[in-house]
Amino acid sequence: MGSVPQRSQESLDTRSPMPDTPKSRTANESGNDASPDSPGSLEELRHLILAPEQEALQRLTNRIEKPESRTEDVSGVVAEAIQKRRELGGEDALCAALAPTIETALRDSVRRDPGTLADALFPVMGPAIRRSILETLRSFLDSFNQILDQSLSWRGLKWRVEAVRTGRSFTEVALLHSLVFRVEQVFLIHKKSGLPITHAVAPAVAMQDPSLVSGMLSAIQDFVHDSFHTERGQGVNRLNVGDLDVWVEDGPYAILAAVIRGVAPRALHERMTETLENIHAEYASSLERFDGDSAPFANINRELSRCLEAKFKEESPRGGYGYAWAAAAVLLALVGGWLGWRWWQYHRWSELVATLESQPGLIITSFGRVRGRLVVRGLRDPLSSDPQAFIKVAQLDPTQVEFHWSAYYALDDTLVQKRASMALMPPPGVSLSVKDGVLRVEGQPPAKWLDDLRSRGMFIPGIRALDLGRFTPEQIAFDEGKGRIESIVVKFPLASAALSSAERATLRNLLPQIRELLNSPVAVQGSITLEVVGHSDSTGADATNQNLSQRRADRVAWEFIQLGIPAAHLHARGVAAEAPVRPEDTEENRQYNRSATFRVVVASLPQP
Amino acid sequence: MIQKKICMLGSFAVGKTSLVRRFVESIYSDTYLTTVGVKIDKKVVTVGVREVTLVLWDIYGEDDFQKIRWSYLRGASGYLLVADGTRRATIKKALELEQKTREEIGPIPFVFVVNKSDLVQEWELDPAMEAQIATMNWAILRSSAKTGEGVEEAFFRLTRKMLG
Repeated sequence: MGSVPQRSQESLDTRSPMPDTPKSRTANESGNDASPDSPGSLEELRHLILAPEQEALQRLTNRIEKPESRTEDVSGVVAEAIQKRRELGGEDALCAALAPTIETALRDSVRRDPGTLADALFPVMGPAIRRSILETLRSFLDSFNQILDQSLSWRGLKWRVEAVRTGRSFTEVALLHSLVFRVEQVFLIHKKSGLPITHAVAPAVAMQDPSLVSGMLSAIQDFVHDSFHTERGQGVNRLNVGDLDVWVEDGPYAILAAVIRGVAPRALHERMTETLENIHAEYASSLERFDGDSAPFANINRELSRCLEAKFKEESPRGGYGYAWAAAAVLLALVGGWLGWRWWQYHRWSELVATLESQPGLIITSFGRVRGRLVVRGLRDPLSSDPQAFIKVAQLDPTQVEFHWSAYYALDDTLVQKRASMALMPPPGVSLSVKDGVLRVEGQPPAKWLDDLRSRGMFIPGIRALDLGRFTPEQIAFDEGKGRIESIVVKFPLASAALSSAERATLRNLLPQIRELLNSPVAVQGSITLEVVGHSDSTGADATNQNLSQRRADRVAWEFIQLGIPAAHLHARGVAAEAPVRPEDTEENRQYNRSATFRVVVASLPQP
Repeated sequence: MIQKKICMLGSFAVGKTSLVRRFVESIYSDTYLTTVGVKIDKKVVTVGVREVTLVLWDIYGEDDFQKIRWSYLRGASGYLLVADGTRRATIKKALELEQKTREEIGPIPFVFVVNKSDLVQEWELDPAMEAQIATMNWAILRSSAKTGEGVEEAFFRLTRKMLG
């Protein structure tokens, strides 16, 4: 405080450079002051001129120098300043600056009176702890439940039945079955009063009120102790009910009781002793003074929790889930089989449809699966192959296939040919063929049938043209004439080439027909020769026969020449007995071989 | 959490168990009383802002056949001394028990509860005894397990005495 006036003086000096020394005063004021010799008046003058500024300065100085006013100033803006700092993005630095102080303050507060903070946090901590515990529990149970739910084992099923029967949760039943041992609860009990100092419980364990259990436990201890007059410290250290065990460790001020399900190992006993010793070592005075307030033992719980051991039966997951795997495999096989069967069926169906589509006279418009059956729709020519026959070929069940056909005329050549054959009924030796809708006739069709063909052929669906080729009326007439001439047998007497008058008449009667043949338009296509073939019977020497047959042919040819047939159109040759007209089994037939026959030969013109 | 062990002391059939039955949390059946000689119950009392858990040791009443197990009183912070107003002997017994308790475990807070106040016209308190009790400066309460009268008050007063 002592420094305040002095500093104030300094600041005054620097801000208003009014010299204190007479010398400078003279120099400065000589020009404008009326009474330069009076220091009082100078002061007054200064006061007059600078009074408002001086006062303002004084006020400012006071505010800056006095901690109270500074505090006041800062208090007015501290909240806004922090707010501003946060808005400017300096929050991290702010936190870093404040953290140590806040931490120290909290620590001090707890040291002074834990109750204040505890009370403040109580509404927050309760729900937070509850939630945390619930979450842990739930996740534990969920995962456990999940594993077991997933296992389709017989054992899992048995446990489920047991759970329903006993009204316990499935998890609990499963846990009990797969448990070797589990420390479910641990009580640290004040020996003298039987009050629970603290209590730890394993997850998912139904617990009773620790106060009541602790009380009853120590009551029993006392009861046994009194009843059997045992030494102090030699109370009950083990209780056994069914699969529940209560192990009791005795200490000078407190006893540690563990509720165990299953068969715990000896090591647990050592763990308990060790825990109790640790607690006694650390909290000896608190334990001695314990009057029901468990606050000093708030941290013991972690120590106790170490005793909450548990051991589950070790099972190889393979064994455990064997059934599940088997079930999964069966399921997979079933699904696979079904899919395979579906695929096979679909494959067969596709094949059948493809086969049908390839058939002339069948047009598939649609096909698909309807209630497990293959339904095929399309057009069918009545003359096409029977579709039912293909079902068998495709190794399908006929009841599984359904056809819906609409009739139509197919224009495929094979079907058109069938249709034409049915309509025209060609006589034996005559065949029909269709190519690109053109009907062709082969063989020796009778003229009458050909007339029928000409009149009806074009009305057959699918026939767009008739190609009768050589079956022109001229050709037919030629062929008929040729046939007639070639069927003639001119007979000779035995071993003679002389013609009887009857035979000569026959030859004369043939003349118009021969002329007709030679003049036929067919002859334009090539030269026509009437071959006269001389025959002999098989008796007699070959040479004689050859000669005889040649002479017979020559005789007939000569007769024709005589009758006016140009020799160029005639050709006579003897074949002896080499080409008999009839087999020589009777005399009559042998007579037929002493003869001459005709062949009408159309020699094609040599190709240019 | 503050817990206190308190005992219920009194003769056989003075109504100790009935007294607490309606006001406590319990997981044990009354058969424990006759077998082990004690039954543990719990009662939470709020004194001011403090919640105190009273762990009640309901000790089998002394009769001709069974003595009180004094070891059950070890570590108790207080007790309710219960007598039956309609039976003089029980009041006399209460006085004895109080003395015996002081000898066994030292002077600890207690509240003397004279039960069966609903039958007050049948009470057998004689002036001499009342005078004797008065001189001892005891905290005395009339209670009735039947009507609930005085029961909460008994626990409350005992708790306040224990907390000092």
